[in-house]
Amino acid sequence: MRKCGILCFNAYTLIRIDTCTHLVLKMTENKELILLIEDEPQMRRFLRITLQSQGYRLVEAATAQEGLLQAASRNPDVVLLDLSLPDIDGLEVTKRLREWAQTPIIVISAREQEQDKVKALDFGADDYLTKPFNANELLARIRVALRHSVRSRSGRSEPIFTLYNLRVDLAKRQVFLGDKEVHLTPIEYKLLITLIRHAGKVVTHNQLLKDVWGPAHVSEVQYLRVYMTQLRHKLEAEPARPRFLMNEPGVGYRLKYDPER
Amino acid sequence: MTIKAEEKSIYAQAVDTAPDRHALSSTHLIRQPNDKSGWLWSLLTVAICTGVAILIYPSFELVDVAMIYLLGVVITASLTTKWPALLAALLSVAAFDYFFVPPRFTFAVSNTRYLVTFAVMFFVALATSRLTLRIKEQANDALWKEQRTAALYDLSRELVRERDMDKLKAIAEQHIGKVFDSIVIVLLPDVDGKLLPPIHDFPWNEREREAAQWVFDNRQPAGSNALTGPDADALYLPLIASAGNIGVVGLRPRAAGEKLDQGQLRYLEAFINQTGIAIERALLAEQSHQALVKAETESLRNTLLSSISHDLRTPLTSVTGAVSTLLAADAALDQQSRRELLETIQEESERLSRIIKNVLAMTRLESGVIAIRKEWQSLEEIVGVVLNRLGDRLNEHPVTLNIPENLPLIPFDGLLLEQVFMNLFENAIKYTPAGTPLELSASEELFTVTVKLADRGPGIQPGEEERIFDKFFRGRSAGGGVGLGLAICRAVISAHGGRIWAENRPDGGAVFQFTLSSAGLPPLTRREEEGS
Repeated sequence: MRKCGILCFNAYTLIRIDTCTHLVLKMTENKELILLIEDEPQMRRFLRITLQSQGYRLVEAATAQEGLLQAASRNPDVVLLDLSLPDIDGLEVTKRLREWAQTPIIVISAREQEQDKVKALDFGADDYLTKPFNANELLARIRVALRHSVRSRSGRSEPIFTLYNLRVDLAKRQVFLGDKEVHLTPIEYKLLITLIRHAGKVVTHNQLLKDVWGPAHVSEVQYLRVYMTQLRHKLEAEPARPRFLMNEPGVGYRLKYDPER
Repeated sequence: MTIKAEEKSIYAQAVDTAPDRHALSSTHLIRQPNDKSGWLWSLLTVAICTGVAILIYPSFELVDVAMIYLLGVVITASLTTKWPALLAALLSVAAFDYFFVPPRFTFAVSNTRYLVTFAVMFFVALATSRLTLRIKEQANDALWKEQRTAALYDLSRELVRERDMDKLKAIAEQHIGKVFDSIVIVLLPDVDGKLLPPIHDFPWNEREREAAQWVFDNRQPAGSNALTGPDADALYLPLIASAGNIGVVGLRPRAAGEKLDQGQLRYLEAFINQTGIAIERALLAEQSHQALVKAETESLRNTLLSSISHDLRTPLTSVTGAVSTLLAADAALDQQSRRELLETIQEESERLSRIIKNVLAMTRLESGVIAIRKEWQSLEEIVGVVLNRLGDRLNEHPVTLNIPENLPLIPFDGLLLEQVFMNLFENAIKYTPAGTPLELSASEELFTVTVKLADRGPGIQPGEEERIFDKFFRGRSAGGGVGLGLAICRAVISAHGGRIWAENRPDGGAVFQFTLSSAGLPPLTRREEEGS
């Protein structure tokens, strides 16, 4: 995992062109360990079959206590955490895990209230899935989480980001759509690279406002909305049918991106 | 316990509002001169009359002098009470004799006919003073009645206007407190018949609580001033209405040690009766409102249950059927059939999920659990989310979008509006034939944004344009829903202060339209220079 190389995609399909051999080896073996904290046996069964069929190793925990113990002893690569657990609230588990571990946490919740999602993300969760979800979505989120943790450990980022016909040269601070350079305002550019830095993951309104405008502006969601709209009009072919600048209502924004596809 | 037993009896009787004249004099409503100044008044009046008479005597007759004294007696009677008036009459006769009847400056009388004059003068003075006193008493009486009626009227007028229980209590407490110069508390029981403690400043301890509770349980007065019940610092009276005892009124005179007399107690009873009637009315209104809500909830729940039990069972049957086939006859099925069964399972599960989502949304909207959280947002963004979520289900219905680029941000609740768009699109997918196009457009005029979703389907049955928004109304279509989709749209749009309606297009198809207000100032957005 020392070098991740440049990811390059052609206009419509995401094809990895240049890769690092180490990473490819790791991904084909898919030896990553996933900790699943979920009290419903049926859910655990479904997730076990789905994850093991993809080659992931799995540790299961039916209670929060057991989950916290397993997290400490087994050192998983990703934690899948159900928010409604019998003993300790999932939000509390997130908080406790974050006290000592940087392991990516993907929250699974039947609660549809956006407040819970936002709270979990603010407590340090990396992403969330609302029940019911489909298996492909879960696998995509796991891939994104793994990729981010690999990159944050290596401490490197790619100098060029490519998605569909969008190409962002992070070193030269240039944005291209196909061959044409697109002029972005400083704020639009900052917004875009913040989303790229978290590519594939949801970024909450608060986090975006803090990163782009500064901590004093976290309540000014409307700025964010206006600039996101501008950015979409500049980068998306059909702003009302975005392909990658996705809105997660009530929570934040997500740059739709799947490292595997 | 200073009051006499006969006065005590008024508590158990029906309201007696007849004024007790003897009691009036001591209420603070009407001020009477006290005894000492009455005697002084009679002395002073006679002295002044004597002075005036001495001044005018040489030029007037003796009869005129007697008249001046009579005038003095009348004045005294109008200013004081019975006994000073009598004194004034006696003094007047004496002064008349001493100063004016010859021989002057002695009490001796030269002619016996003057004795008759004295007697007549005394009785006339006495009679006029009695008459004056009675007139005065009647005037006082009328004033007292008027004041009492006015105070009662004020109370009942304010009570009638109010519906809120806490405000009713506050009005009664304030009015009664003002009239009787006391701190007053209205205590109502909880469901178990235990009086709730005072919520505002009223001296309260275990002894007071016991006395008040005793009053409530026994429907008899207790506390200071009362013969019955446990003793306490304040006076507690039952609040009796037509349905029985509904509470207790506590009263504590502001002046320490002061007690109410019988007249005041009767008067107080009239106030308490007014309060009781008003509070009972509010209690009944509350009860009937709760009963109504309960009945409505009940009927909604029943309709919902019967409606969704059918709608949940249909897809569930398909799912369990498909699954059991797959499990039992896995080998016998060809690839194509297997795939079809699996697709059935997926589609039906998605349908179940949608039904559950709508049912949950409706129950939450109706129970008021969802608070509308309006934020300034972009319509285009929400439409994007919905189109993305619908995904492949729109494959058979090409959607044309016509949202102007300069449409301003609008204040709305993102999640709820997402549900509105979702339901409108799902409705269009369900009721229009595959291959027909949909068009979503938005426009702004006079701070109102109008959103239209037009289709080229069979349109709406004439006369059903309104009914389709009713709960549990279902159009004629194969894959039925619960009939909540459009009802949710209407609930959400009205909660935003907008309007939603449907009509047929002149050239075929239906158009669903709703409005949202864009009035108000969108938060200022700082401009920044172009270019990076």
